[in-house]
Amino acid sequence: MVLIDGLAMSALFAEVVGQLTALNDQIFSHVNGLAGRSWLFDNLVALSQENDLIKAGIIGCCFFAAWFSGKTADEIRAHRKTLMITLVAAVCVLAATKVISRSVPLPRPVIKSQKIYHLTGDDLVEMNRTHVRVPLDETSQKEHRDLLKGDVNTNDLKSFPSDHAGFFLAISLGIFFASRRIGALALVWTVLVILGGKLITGAHTPLDIGASAAIAVSVLMIFRFAARSRLGHLLDKVSSLTLRHSALSSAILFAVVFEIASTLFHVRHFLALLVAARRYLMFG
Amino acid sequence: MKQKSSALTRLTCLVAALCGLFAVTSCKKAPDGLVLMTDPSYTATVFASNKIGFGAPDGILWNRGKLYLADEGRGALAVWSTNDGMRELVDAQFGIDTPEDLVIDAEGNIFFSDDAAGGVWEVDSAGKQHLLAGKDKGLYSTEGIALAPDGSILVGDADQHQIFRVTKAGEVSVFLGREFGITKPESMTFDDKGNLYIADNEDNVLYLLDKNHQLHRVVDRRDYFSPETIFFANGSLYITDSNAGKLYIYTPNEELKPIATFSGQLGNIQGVTVDEHGEIYVSVQSDLKKNIGYIIKIGKEEPLPVAIRN
Repeated sequence: MVLIDGLAMSALFAEVVGQLTALNDQIFSHVNGLAGRSWLFDNLVALSQENDLIKAGIIGCCFFAAWFSGKTADEIRAHRKTLMITLVAAVCVLAATKVISRSVPLPRPVIKSQKIYHLTGDDLVEMNRTHVRVPLDETSQKEHRDLLKGDVNTNDLKSFPSDHAGFFLAISLGIFFASRRIGALALVWTVLVILGGKLITGAHTPLDIGASAAIAVSVLMIFRFAARSRLGHLLDKVSSLTLRHSALSSAILFAVVFEIASTLFHVRHFLALLVAARRYLMFG
Repeated sequence: MKQKSSALTRLTCLVAALCGLFAVTSCKKAPDGLVLMTDPSYTATVFASNKIGFGAPDGILWNRGKLYLADEGRGALAVWSTNDGMRELVDAQFGIDTPEDLVIDAEGNIFFSDDAAGGVWEVDSAGKQHLLAGKDKGLYSTEGIALAPDGSILVGDADQHQIFRVTKAGEVSVFLGREFGITKPESMTFDDKGNLYIADNEDNVLYLLDKNHQLHRVVDRRDYFSPETIFFANGSLYITDSNAGKLYIYTPNEELKPIATFSGQLGNIQGVTVDEHGEIYVSVQSDLKKNIGYIIKIGKEEPLPVAIRN
């Protein structure tokens, strides 16, 4: 009886996975189908993916606006508490997506359009190729030419889940919790411009983004839960300090928003330098 | 009561979110190792896994229908053939630690390096093992090894940043001193014209030492290029890059061309060799501590019969 239940469950799981994969492929094919048709559209999409001001600057502005929103001191303090916890959660989301992508090497759809084998047990099995339309902008065309020449960035072999999607969804959702109107704008921008662009350019599949969204929501919920129970007292103190030392807190906020706009690029660069320095000092 | 119910709701949301996270991330549970054929005219297959009895091999070499493995994971030198299966020639009890690279001379004598135990070790054609030249002769961390046309053995030392010549009598002399600026001579091989290729995976340079003892930088300052092992066969140099997980082919006067990119469990590619049919074999150290490794065979795709092509 237990065996039959187990078999039924695994069959159901396989069916659900099959359906999800089919849905994923269908959505991807439709959205990516927008690429490669109009030079102007493709360049606008590319701009939204490459230009930090357009991609993430808007989210940074929303964060800034939410930080100063609120009619009373208590309201402002509550918003700031939410935003501070959002920041910590977003960093954790970035770390979690990076760790998962290292252990689940799934290439970007644009890479999956090439001949790839995957290790199944002790066999290498050729994967089904994904049909991807290459956008007409210069960067995408150059990357495609490089791919055909065999120059593959190893980062492109680990696209599941999307770290950018997780990071920006966590931030936007956090802004939404702090301020509904500003957060709605951030969420719409994230979904339509940042994530939509990733699907159109063939950088990610809907499942990559769905998994990131699940991670973002989960981590944010955990931190919000912790903020209400254990971290509440500490956050109260820090948010009061931001009101008391508004000049200093504004300066720090500028640095934070600057980093949000670059997806923590400079912080990551600095951390990499620290790791390299540690290795140099320890091993020469 | 109200507070209790609110906490319960939050906890339920949390559990639901975690379940959602688990479901979404596991439904696309992926293969753990990938090989991307950047040259689609090649195919990839697993030639051998741990099941045949090796650990995590580093240097590999096909010779007269047998595959020789410097098994770094097990601290052993082993040989595999279709008829005899896997057989250890030297193991850790003999004093070797992490065998790195190997060569075989015309008489069937095997010479190998060991970056932890140092020295050049020999297993002669009768199967007798001995340390040809060890740390006492200044070979502290031996890496790349090559058989010189005069019959002597050239071995690179990572600690001393030099390449030494070792005669079959065990005499050691400096072949390329520090003044040549090679930091880590990880792998070496002679081409069919008598030039010596040297892979430095610390400075990420592929050198060529011509017959006039002039050192040239053949591939230098290229992004994401770190040559781990080099092997010359059929007029081309095959190169593994364990940092980027890439297998390259380099033909003199032509561009460096990637054949395949390895990632995940297969990302740490080490040795490379070519058999008598021109098939390429790459050793992979998936987990050196847990002794998990693979030998991947990269072959040319058979052209389709004319009837199918049309």
